[in-house]
Amino acid sequence: MAIKKTKSTAKHSSNGNRRRNGTSQPKSGNSSRTYSIPDFRLEHPDLSVRQTIEKDKDGAEHVRYEVTGNLNAPVPPIRDSTYLDKKQCVEIYRYMLLNRKMEVALENLYKQGKVVGGVYFGLGQEACSCASAYALDKDDWFAPMIRNQGSLLVRGFRASDTMMQYMAKANSPTHGRDGTSHFGDIEKRNMVSPISMLGDLIPVLSGVALGARLQGRNIAVMTYIGDGGQSTGVTYEGINFAAVQNLGLVLFVESNEWAYSTPSEMQYVCKDLAERAIGYGIPGVIVDGTDACQVYDAARDAVERAHRGEGPTLIEAKMMRMKGHAIHDAAAYVPKPMFEFWKKRDPIARFENYLVKEKKWLTAKENSELIADVERVIEAEREIAVNSPMPTPESAEGGVFCENGCHEIKPKYGMPRVKKGTGSFKQTEAAAHLK
Amino acid sequence: MQLTYLEAIRQGIWEEMDRDPSVFCLGEDIGIYGGAFKVTDGFIDRFGPERVIDTPIAESAIVGAAFGASLTGMRPVAEFQFMDFIGCAFNQISNMVAKTHYLWGAPAPLVLRGPSGGYVHGGPFHSQNPEMWFVHNPGLKVICPATPYDAKGLIKAAIRDNNPCIFFEHKYLYRRIKGEVPAEDYVVPIGKANIVREGRDLSIITYAAMVHTALEAAEVLKNDGIDLEILDLRTVSPLDREAIAQTVKKTNKVIILHEHSRTGGLAGEIAAIINEEAFDDLDGPIVRIAGLDSAIPFSPPQEEHYLPKVSDVVREARRLKAY
Repeated sequence: MAIKKTKSTAKHSSNGNRRRNGTSQPKSGNSSRTYSIPDFRLEHPDLSVRQTIEKDKDGAEHVRYEVTGNLNAPVPPIRDSTYLDKKQCVEIYRYMLLNRKMEVALENLYKQGKVVGGVYFGLGQEACSCASAYALDKDDWFAPMIRNQGSLLVRGFRASDTMMQYMAKANSPTHGRDGTSHFGDIEKRNMVSPISMLGDLIPVLSGVALGARLQGRNIAVMTYIGDGGQSTGVTYEGINFAAVQNLGLVLFVESNEWAYSTPSEMQYVCKDLAERAIGYGIPGVIVDGTDACQVYDAARDAVERAHRGEGPTLIEAKMMRMKGHAIHDAAAYVPKPMFEFWKKRDPIARFENYLVKEKKWLTAKENSELIADVERVIEAEREIAVNSPMPTPESAEGGVFCENGCHEIKPKYGMPRVKKGTGSFKQTEAAAHLK
Repeated sequence: MQLTYLEAIRQGIWEEMDRDPSVFCLGEDIGIYGGAFKVTDGFIDRFGPERVIDTPIAESAIVGAAFGASLTGMRPVAEFQFMDFIGCAFNQISNMVAKTHYLWGAPAPLVLRGPSGGYVHGGPFHSQNPEMWFVHNPGLKVICPATPYDAKGLIKAAIRDNNPCIFFEHKYLYRRIKGEVPAEDYVVPIGKANIVREGRDLSIITYAAMVHTALEAAEVLKNDGIDLEILDLRTVSPLDREAIAQTVKKTNKVIILHEHSRTGGLAGEIAAIINEEAFDDLDGPIVRIAGLDSAIPFSPPQEEHYLPKVSDVVREARRLKAY
């Protein structure tokens, strides 16, 4: 019954008449704007997804998604980076390969029954994960989301760390207590562990920057949110807090088109999520999330802004989640032409072409050696992970509290230098809320 | 020195900020205004706007920012204007802050504090006692002081603790009670209950404003020849199991008294602890006196009916004594 009711509107769009990505302007369009959002992309895909009703051979109606737009648009080139040199580009490329091949290994481990729970993939998003984290300095902090397994590699975690998390092994960073990329390190690699609830990391990372600033340091704090996750209220609270306090938040909004099975058309109605930066009063930029050079340049600009104490930046990276939500999800709801469109924009294949053919920064031989080396590394990491024991049942106990000297708490960047005013402690008898 | 409950808390935070540069405060209207109840009055002049931060009205951001800062080794003290609003930050507290040490070994030395409790006609969104939302969250310490001495000693202990502490200040007590508070530095240990009145006939296990209700009832019952023992829990998580068992073993009869709703309330948990630790010592049923299973109403006659009263304690004590 519900389907019939929606039938008349379903033909138009899933959420009204929003037009995205520049095919035509909405009524209240750009003419009234007094602002602009820098957009570094070399193409502006005009795809849009809507609900439609299909009849099967028995005449039964089914609601499906269909994609419209120029699905045959030519693939854009990689934009030359303003900052990256040959060596750095090759290094990012290597991390992207590690990221992808680690996920292939995880998929195989899953098929062999060695993974507990599901596997989450960042396929198609490797440029965004790796090049963004590559822009951070050592003292900066970050917190990945589930698809940013490449960021972990860039920040010095090993592939076996993530693999052991997925296999719930005793030697995993959380010793079996959590899986996936849910781990952190406040000592060396300055990483806050993600939680499954979306958006909560944004105020947390802002607080990390606040703590560092009280200790006399302007650091950059990078985290990520999807086009789905940004619908949460805490996303607003966190960005606004960073804006008001002028903290060095670098927020990547990863617009990857699908939030589990829901298209971005049903998450928001503004044209680009980067526009939200205007409402927060902070800079927002758009990059092609499948182009490592664009991602890096925007991230580096934002990181340097943070280091100068100039406040937060929102970077929207446009790309496509090239698998389902997790391994169990075949993503049958995604219109096939959409996968085909984005497959041609594969971040690794295009970066490889750029480095080998366009720039000639890698010979074909060097490239195949690099790939072979990455495969060797992943195989060795896989061995380590597989051979780690499972935790003992009793290791479920303990550690709820920090006690008996298990941690020493001290300011990471040095004791805050405090200025004390002349005020002294006086008793108050002021009028108070609710006597 | 005689201090009000509010002044004792205020002095405790002030002294910790004086002592330790890594302590700072954040919350709504805590700066120039000094907080809705004036707990941080004068702090901004003394410690500066860097360490006394007025925030947007965004409780998840306040908790998130406090937590993030704590990961860098700071000791934030975040104020909730009313503890009722802590619900806005529940996910951040329950899923982010409380699980951190257990899951990935990061200590989170932060304090979330603010006024809770009824008897001030604050209505359903300014009178709640939401401590049980957090007692059922392993990884948090939940503190509910009843006296100026304990309030100061416990807020200092909470700030020095390496774990997230939620500190419920009873707003009815803020300026109504005064007590002796020593001038020298001291802390009251978290997780330790305190016998505030020794007695032989019957134990009342309670905390916060209800300690004073129980003390008043004890004076009435004295005339009946009933000698009440009153155990002030002071910390409701972790509970002092030993002190609970001790008082039951001594008097063999127990009333558990709290302000928040009966169902799923702390009394149920304490009754279970008594079953586990001192079942054979009971000479009568475990009695619960608690708020009604509804929201706390606004109008004074309704609020009075909702909340536990001295007369409730007197009535139940007489009934239990007869066993």
